[in-house]
Amino acid sequence: MSFFRRKRLFTILIGFIILVGLIGFSLRDRDELSSVEQFLQDVVGWMQQAVHTPVEYTTNIISNINDVKNVYQENQILKEQLARYQRNLYEVQELRKENQELMSILDKAQSDDITAFKSIHATISARSPEQWFKQVTINKGKQDGVQSNMAVITGEGMIGKVQSASQFTSTVLLLNGFDRSNRISVNVNLEGEEDASGFILGYDQDREALLLEFTDYEGEIPEGEFVFSSGLGGVFPKGLEIGAIQEMTTDQYGLTQVAYVKPSADLYNLNHVIVIDRNVITSDEETVEEEVE
Amino acid sequence: MSRLFLPLFLLLLLVLEGVALDFIPSQIIENDWILVAHWLFIFLVLMTLFYDLEHTYYSVLFAIIFGLMVDIVYTNVIGVYMFMYGFTIYFVHGMSKMLHTNFFVAFLLSAVGISVVDFGIYLIYSFIGISQMDSSVYFTNRLLPSLVANLIFFLILYVSLKKKMVKWSKERFDIKKS
Repeated sequence: MSFFRRKRLFTILIGFIILVGLIGFSLRDRDELSSVEQFLQDVVGWMQQAVHTPVEYTTNIISNINDVKNVYQENQILKEQLARYQRNLYEVQELRKENQELMSILDKAQSDDITAFKSIHATISARSPEQWFKQVTINKGKQDGVQSNMAVITGEGMIGKVQSASQFTSTVLLLNGFDRSNRISVNVNLEGEEDASGFILGYDQDREALLLEFTDYEGEIPEGEFVFSSGLGGVFPKGLEIGAIQEMTTDQYGLTQVAYVKPSADLYNLNHVIVIDRNVITSDEETVEEEVE
Repeated sequence: MSRLFLPLFLLLLLVLEGVALDFIPSQIIENDWILVAHWLFIFLVLMTLFYDLEHTYYSVLFAIIFGLMVDIVYTNVIGVYMFMYGFTIYFVHGMSKMLHTNFFVAFLLSAVGISVVDFGIYLIYSFIGISQMDSSVYFTNRLLPSLVANLIFFLILYVSLKKKMVKWSKERFDIKKS
């Protein structure tokens, strides 16, 4: 203990060196967390879940009381929607059957379908108090089949991707923390035309919207059109809803069209999420598996 | 037995920081204010002032260990919290030798400590490109709201834990002497 007292300057300098070393270690591209980090995240994550459950219960009660006030109006709207859904359901069933028949004619296996995925249900157990890191912890990890880079969605739309997976918990990077190093390949559905394709390049903090860059010039796209993942990036399956177009402009050089996309999901009130495991095995994964064998 | 209480309390605070955002009303987020919970740090300041003796450095040791844990669990850059917590608690420890410890000194040292810690974290993060915030925006939107929120937490912790802390300190260090 007396070491701290005598060599004050020396200690602080050593501290600096360790700081720079550790930052360098954690900033380089790492595929996997070290086992020490995984262990710590699992232990703390397990405790977080124990704490989070009663907290969530009480906050739910408060929001339930607020909801009760609008029950009648909501019920009217929902009844209307329900009638419409019934019709849609019938249509969807017919289409699905038709699709299956056509697929079998074409001899296409289920595993080649980039829209197909397995879902893993998870609960948010904590959110990083350091808000520059837009990350949350979920209570499922490698043991449940979660791998890094999987897409994470809620019922409303995509919320982010798995940044790193430990054995029993994993960390999710939210959409508002995306930058150029994690692009999403997306499509915009257009009436009667081919889909417009592009990339989500990142999140604009000032406008609170995602930045979409189109690959081709598309002309005017009306506001409110929905943006879906296209499945061509090789990471996310096709057809996950990401958001709706808020505004169309051109980039700073006036050469490419960009759009601001408002995320569909509410990124602040998250409870239950679904981790998406794409069925198609991409070529890199295959090579990795071969190496392991 | 009381030896175990301190790390357990720190671990509990570490876990609670993760759910801290659930308690914050949503108006604050819409206002673009960023509230950062430095609860561990406040506990460590109280520990420095009321638990540690002049020649013991348990609080610095815990600051380094739990700073590292915050880094691993809540961020993906290791070392920033560890360094800032350790450094600032060491500074507070040095100051506490010169000042007579009472409520106002504790309050003042916590306020200064939180500012130093948060500003240091901001500097390091903007240096490695994680935060691109302007310094004036940082002061009004992050530092001031966080400072106020953390000082409220300080009051709660001070009232509930000060006496216990002194008691534990006496138990531990008196036994050693005899």
